Amino acid sequence: MNSHGKKKRIGVFVCHCGVNIAAMVDVKRVAEEMGAYPGVAFSTDYIYMCSDPGQQVILDKVIEEKLDAVIVACCSPTLHEITFQNAAKLAGLSPFQVEIANIREQVSWVHTDREEATLKAIRIVRSLVEKIRYNKNLEPIEVDVTRRAMVIGAGISGIQAALDIADQGYEVLLVEKEASIGGHMIQLSETFPTLDCSQCIMTPKMVEVSRHPNIKLMTYHEVESISGFVGNFTVRIKKKPRYVDEVACTMCGDCEVVCPEIVPDDFNLGLSYRKAIYLPFPQAIPGTYTLDIDSCLGLWPIRCSACKDACEVNAIDFDQKEEIIEEKVGAITVCTGYDLYSMKSLGEFGGEKYEDVVDGLEFERILSASGPTGGEVRRPSDGKVPKSIVFIQCCGSRDPENHKSYCSRICCMYTAKHAMLYKHHVPDGQATVFYIDVRTGGKRFEEFYQRTVEEGNVLYLRGKVSKVYQEGDKIIVHGSDTLTGRKVEMEADMVVLAMAMEKKEGTEELLRKLNISADTDGWLAEAHPKLKPVESINVGFYLAGCANGPKDIPDAVAQASAAAAKVGTLFAQEKLQHDPAIVPVNEELCSGCEICVNVCPYDARELDSEKGIVIVNEVLCEGCGACAAACPSGAAQKRNQTDNQIFSMLSAILKK
Amino acid sequence: MGNKKTKLHYYPGCTLKEKTTNLDDTTYAVMDLLGYELIEPENWTCCGAEFPLTEEKIVGLAAPVRILRQVKLEGGNKVFTVCSFCFNVLKRANEAMVTDPLKHKRINAFLKDDITIDRVTGDKTTGFPEYNGDVSVLHLLEFIRDEVGYEKIRALIKRDLGKVKVVPYYGCRLLRPKGKIGIDKPDDPSIFEEFLENIGCEVIDFPFKQECCGSYLSLSMPDAASEASYNVLRSAKLNGADVLALSCPLCYYNLDRRQDRIKEKFPEFHEMPVLFFTQLLAWALGVDEEILGLDQHFCDPRSVLGIDKSGVEI
Repeated sequence: MNSHGKKKRIGVFVCHCGVNIAAMVDVKRVAEEMGAYPGVAFSTDYIYMCSDPGQQVILDKVIEEKLDAVIVACCSPTLHEITFQNAAKLAGLSPFQVEIANIREQVSWVHTDREEATLKAIRIVRSLVEKIRYNKNLEPIEVDVTRRAMVIGAGISGIQAALDIADQGYEVLLVEKEASIGGHMIQLSETFPTLDCSQCIMTPKMVEVSRHPNIKLMTYHEVESISGFVGNFTVRIKKKPRYVDEVACTMCGDCEVVCPEIVPDDFNLGLSYRKAIYLPFPQAIPGTYTLDIDSCLGLWPIRCSACKDACEVNAIDFDQKEEIIEEKVGAITVCTGYDLYSMKSLGEFGGEKYEDVVDGLEFERILSASGPTGGEVRRPSDGKVPKSIVFIQCCGSRDPENHKSYCSRICCMYTAKHAMLYKHHVPDGQATVFYIDVRTGGKRFEEFYQRTVEEGNVLYLRGKVSKVYQEGDKIIVHGSDTLTGRKVEMEADMVVLAMAMEKKEGTEELLRKLNISADTDGWLAEAHPKLKPVESINVGFYLAGCANGPKDIPDAVAQASAAAAKVGTLFAQEKLQHDPAIVPVNEELCSGCEICVNVCPYDARELDSEKGIVIVNEVLCEGCGACAAACPSGAAQKRNQTDNQIFSMLSAILKK
Repeated sequence: MGNKKTKLHYYPGCTLKEKTTNLDDTTYAVMDLLGYELIEPENWTCCGAEFPLTEEKIVGLAAPVRILRQVKLEGGNKVFTVCSFCFNVLKRANEAMVTDPLKHKRINAFLKDDITIDRVTGDKTTGFPEYNGDVSVLHLLEFIRDEVGYEKIRALIKRDLGKVKVVPYYGCRLLRPKGKIGIDKPDDPSIFEEFLENIGCEVIDFPFKQECCGSYLSLSMPDAASEASYNVLRSAKLNGADVLALSCPLCYYNLDRRQDRIKEKFPEFHEMPVLFFTQLLAWALGVDEEILGLDQHFCDPRSVLGIDKSGVEI
């Protein structure tokens, strides 16, 4: 029925899509047969419905033929539904009176029999006529938006995202679970292809974050749980006890001197040692010592308290407790980064067995001016300067049978950089690189690689390594040179494994908390691989950096800025509009059985214990219909897709 | 433990009845002590020694499948081997019968018409049932780990091997091809180490444990085989081993019996004793020295087991 209580006058517009549809579907016949179908007041076909003149046809005919509803038989609704809704709107129709019959992806592109395809197209259009008869005009649901963002993870991506959101004038909570911000980038020595010092370009950003009036820095904090929906999230954040008062600590280091407990330094990946009370690195932000409770001799039962006694400003507080902080935010950007694939997984390379077989990140620390060897290249076992190093690329990457199927993207470039920097430090040393392919797809990357080969005189061997083992004080590498087809055996003083990147440990747990999804490799999934690269499928969540997949610093920064821009776009709206085609509850029919509550993937439904029925959070409901299918009493019916409509569509399709 | 022994099918393979009777004898001895009565499938033949890799050449599968079918006909559901080659061939032939419908069809069609002649009456029978890959093929190392259990082994130990520094040598056939053999991870195995630790050896890790011994090249390219064997033994020695433990008769031939040839090519080579894992186990479980067949070895392993030249335990 239309608004005047009369039968709806329905228009059908069949698109040829050039020959995309017309070659396999007899579009003229579809238009003709639909013209005779009950309720259809007008039917026509046109070569490109989405073109300007095509849209004009719809606009004109809605007015001329006094149409109440429009069906366009064309491509998938993901492509042009909005186009035709807007055309209908210009003619005064509600967008809810436009339906798309997909006769391209679901018919012409997938069938080979023209007659059968044409019949199928007719059935699909018929079913939509049945559906649209009962479509109601709906009003969008409007909600407020909290203009305050949370960024999880404070590596280069998180820092960039936080700065860019903050610079737009919005408040940002930057949550980092480690004691300092900086992530992996602050551990790197120099960055390809320009060889600028990583710390030198990273620390200004870190300082900017810590001084920015719009950024609230929450280091040593972890996200506990998130509830709510886009524009209106409530997050619970755990503040881990640092046992040191951040404000009072003057970083004098007296506590460190007296601390008796020595443990491997995780910032240097265990290549050096630190005390149980420590500063992760000199430029750490916030500038405060942290007491590592797992290594400390124990706050209880025997308090060592050497540090507390030594601290003149009384910054050490053994009574600090874990706290839960609740905050409201409107958008969440996830920048949790990556881990390196463990050398343990490649037993044949001996990374866990031999001290002088290290991974790429460890070698970064060895190269770093602030690293465990003070900027000189020395090998871990005996501190000697290695006269030959073998670099092995694709350790775990591009190996779908045994390890990761993907390319980790940065290893070709950082290995070239490692080899070049090694040659800078040890000009008479021999650097050899085993590679499968050298991939240099970035600005000035190929030139950098060529310089490594030519100026650096680095030997590139195309082939795979089968085994690495120690003999005396040499590391022996067995491999193959696939260009000459010969077996290669060489001695080296040190071996560097370009381990694959993999999802950060704890990603699954975080995903569960955030209720967002990951791809098959565990990287956070973007909403569309090409057109929505920084949005999660779940609205209000944004992604940046290596949490989303391997990438280098420029790409991570670009993605972070893009995510920040998207957060800005969200915050620029006065009210958020939500699709009203949701699944409400018919209060007369609902028995409060809660089956729908359990099947809802968006936590949009809950039992109102007073009324004894289920209520729906209209903003959280995405209209997926899981509840409608599960509801035993028919109380949950999706708007404009009721059981009645679905059955009418089915009989229209099944009818001869 | 009562006297009742558990019956278990055992496929020795030809080499064990000829060149390496020490491997066969010690297997019988240890399995008896562990409470098993071994049954060799009737009329067993050579396993084929090599799994046929040519897709079309399936006749090489006839022998191993016939052996497995015989185990089934005798009411067995599992058979174990100690020879790495036999294990490899039987296991892969069995797997092919499960996963490759075409091979399954062709082999069964071929074997259906086998004729058996009764030794006494001379009666001929034919028309065999299909074999569907339902006998499980195990290596003894696997059987000990999964079915006997190391705990039981430890409880039965009579002699302390504590002073013997042993390198486990897997060779190729116990582990590869990956995914088809499944006794352990081919790149980072540990089953042999665990076994040796549990029988009381001091296990020495060495990088050549999965490297090739030279295999059949000892026939066609003896120098190449000598070099491969030399590399294995040299690395074992370099890492401080007294003895190398293995399970493959061909590896044993290359690594022990050919040590004189190795020495010809590499004069600096030091002899090194080589023992089958069953010999070490037998010694640990208290089996008499004669059964170990130590006189069959080129490099005398007596001293590493603590036996002096006259055969007296030190």
